[in-house]
Amino acid sequence: MLLIPCVHCGPRNVSEFAYADAVLPAPDPNAAPPSVWRRYLYMRTNPAGWTSEWWYHQSGCRRYFMVERDTRTNEIRAAALPPRPADRGAP
Amino acid sequence: MARLLARSPITPPPPLVVAEGWEVSGRRSGAALRLSDCTPLAKLLVRGDEQGRFRARFGIGVGAARLLSPDLLVIGWGPGEWTLLGPPGAEERLASVAALDRDDGGGEFLSATEVTHGHALMRLAGTAAAALLAKICAIDLGDDVTPNGAAFRSSVAKLVTEVVRHDRDGEPAYWLQCDRAFGQYLFDAVLDAGAEFGIEVDGFRPPWI
Repeated sequence: MLLIPCVHCGPRNVSEFAYADAVLPAPDPNAAPPSVWRRYLYMRTNPAGWTSEWWYHQSGCRRYFMVERDTRTNEIRAAALPPRPADRGAP
Repeated sequence: MARLLARSPITPPPPLVVAEGWEVSGRRSGAALRLSDCTPLAKLLVRGDEQGRFRARFGIGVGAARLLSPDLLVIGWGPGEWTLLGPPGAEERLASVAALDRDDGGGEFLSATEVTHGHALMRLAGTAAAALLAKICAIDLGDDVTPNGAAFRSSVAKLVTEVVRHDRDGEPAYWLQCDRAFGQYLFDAVLDAGAEFGIEVDGFRPPWI
């Protein structure tokens, strides 16, 4: 059984969560050509090793958060919330 | 002219009585483990900043519940999400509690939504309540992890359910809340799981909270 350490609720069964996506830096909307957007939206590397992922706690706090998971062993070494808009310098 | 009655999504076992404008079960049980449909209780869902004024005023964060008065319970389900629970027909009183907080100023967005009819609510009471829930819920229900006043949302009988431990007179008890459409399923699932503990249905009656 895989336990996901939710930032708000603590460790819960993976059946309470939905895998959302890999954590990837978004392209610059003012400069990125279509090829870069296509790669960002559709292409994934499927690594064997440590990855950063978005998980959604659909049966719990209903929040997205980031998890560092080893895809070979399912070991999880970190879980964190995304930075709040104010911390990212948004207005 | 026929009198309009509100009805819970959970079919009340006979005898039927009317309480506070709701058609409810008048059954009385003295069993050691009891399940009551408490859907008629007033429920107000409040959303706002998780570190905002509502939390500062009532001191309730994620995973906790506290009585604001003998008949008014505030529950923190998740970050920036609370439910106020009160006696039947107390929706406006609950809204005034939330609105008072909003009037404190600061420009913080705070929403209050009445969900009395949108959610099914039941109360499981008895010394074997935790043992029953342990059959259908993966959360550790021991006193050190979920003491009296603990609240969480998790899977109960494979259904997303909000659970609050709220003991009364030293007897362990849990509120179970889910979407209205799943109320009958959850009620039946709890009764089914509780058969080995001798669970019985109890009617809806005071004390409300």
